[in-house]
Amino acid sequence: MSDLGTPTNKQTTIETSEQNIEVWEDLVKIKDLVISLIICSITTLGGYLIAPNEPPKPLLFGLAGALIGFILCSVMIKPKRNFRYEDREG
Amino acid sequence: MDPVIIIQMIGAAALGAIIYTIIGIAPGTDETAVLAPVTLVLVLSGFQPVVILAFFISAIVAKKLTDSIPVAVAGIPGGVMAAPMVEHAMILKKHGVPDLSIRKMASGSVIGTLVSVPVSLILANALIPMADVIKEYASPLFFIGAVFLALMCKNRWLALAMIVPFALLIQGLRHLYWGVGAVPADTTVFISFFLGITIGPVILTLFELLNNQKRKNLERFDKKNITLYRTKMEKGFPNPFKILDRKEVGTSALASFLGSLTFFMSPVGMTIFLGETLSSRVKDPVKKAARAISSMDGLTNAAYISGTLIPLVALGIPLSPMAIGPANALFNAPPVFTLEHNMHHVLSTSDFVWATLIGAVIALLLTFYVTIKFSQQICAFVFKRVPHEAMLGLFFGLVLMLAFMDAGWINIGGVLLIGLVAGILHRWGINYGVQFMVLYAAPWIINKIIGG
Repeated sequence: MSDLGTPTNKQTTIETSEQNIEVWEDLVKIKDLVISLIICSITTLGGYLIAPNEPPKPLLFGLAGALIGFILCSVMIKPKRNFRYEDREG
Repeated sequence: MDPVIIIQMIGAAALGAIIYTIIGIAPGTDETAVLAPVTLVLVLSGFQPVVILAFFISAIVAKKLTDSIPVAVAGIPGGVMAAPMVEHAMILKKHGVPDLSIRKMASGSVIGTLVSVPVSLILANALIPMADVIKEYASPLFFIGAVFLALMCKNRWLALAMIVPFALLIQGLRHLYWGVGAVPADTTVFISFFLGITIGPVILTLFELLNNQKRKNLERFDKKNITLYRTKMEKGFPNPFKILDRKEVGTSALASFLGSLTFFMSPVGMTIFLGETLSSRVKDPVKKAARAISSMDGLTNAAYISGTLIPLVALGIPLSPMAIGPANALFNAPPVFTLEHNMHHVLSTSDFVWATLIGAVIALLLTFYVTIKFSQQICAFVFKRVPHEAMLGLFFGLVLMLAFMDAGWINIGGVLLIGLVAGILHRWGINYGVQFMVLYAAPWIINKIIGG
């Protein structure tokens, strides 16, 4: 498909600020990605392992752990996106 | 039907609509990767099949309604299926009517849902007499499916050449697990291999980050610049039949009908082909773009619903790109569902109708209203608050857990290995469809090779 309007390929000239890489169509910072993978793995697998061993509790605890990890990461990590509002043009 | 179950269905549908309204908007989310793990967990947790079906239908309708919002609001596709619409939405933006895109797309989606639900159920019932014949040849059909989808790939010879080695990898791991006693001899590891394929591209990238040279050479970016177009607030409850003119309703309905009939084809391919064909004779650029996006959105929605419902109701084996991908958990999620015992076998026709209707209606009521009214606010919220890292972490965590559940710690290594290979195949242009078909056909392929 055309690249119309997808700003991912735009390179800025300031070298120092460019520290994000593209994973799966969006930008991430390697350090933040590693933190997020560690947190979510611990909360999800942790939830699964600490749950009482009677199905389906381990899975539900795991799912809850996954959501907790997701929320934690969303609070701790800033998205790599800039905003600008554009008014309607004729 | 038991009122408690109905309340559960409504609750599940509402939950599905809310979760997938947010996930639908987040950019770069692959349909299979976001739908399959959550559905799998719900199936394995032992919820009633009707409740899960209501959740799933609501989730796909909501996801489809919302993954085109970022296209209209910021020119970024919210999912693979929304990519063909970017060009047309940009034309509407250029002419200063970005809010028109959202309303036309969402209304197209509504038409797609309204057309495809009855068409799918009727078509599925018509196919039932053929089901016994098709079921008998399920394994070779998956192999034929793999060959067929491989021939459709950009790198068709590479895709064909990879079928047997990939089947060997899958069966090799299964036999290893049996050999070392990681799983009992009657257990076939499936779910975690499926998910390994799904998040393959991410696993490959993660491995590459450990490679010093690769990491240093990776292209670096500054923050992603997103321009949000200010849109007007809609008053009252939106009516899709007023938003679309009569011709747009007609082409959306026709596209949705054709999309339902071609449920076994690739939805992205059909969307591009039919969307462009149906709008090619319109001269005025704004009208042409509006016609294209409304019919494309209708079609993708219809392809999703029919691709799930027709194989599910008629066959019980996942013979469509949609069924073998995002909807896979409804067909095969051992030990709860297997190809011999899944939703197809446990639900009656009226169960299917009710679950589909409750799921679709709740998602349309909640998400269509929200989409039209608050599209810009939701987009801004998701873009500002939900980091891509958290999305990747969420799905990575779920895959790890399901890998551990399937066959213990050894399988985390196994899933990483499958993901690594699948990620390379994906980068080489061998799409998920081929890989999933091989996953299903692997035992049969290996049996045939050794002359069984």
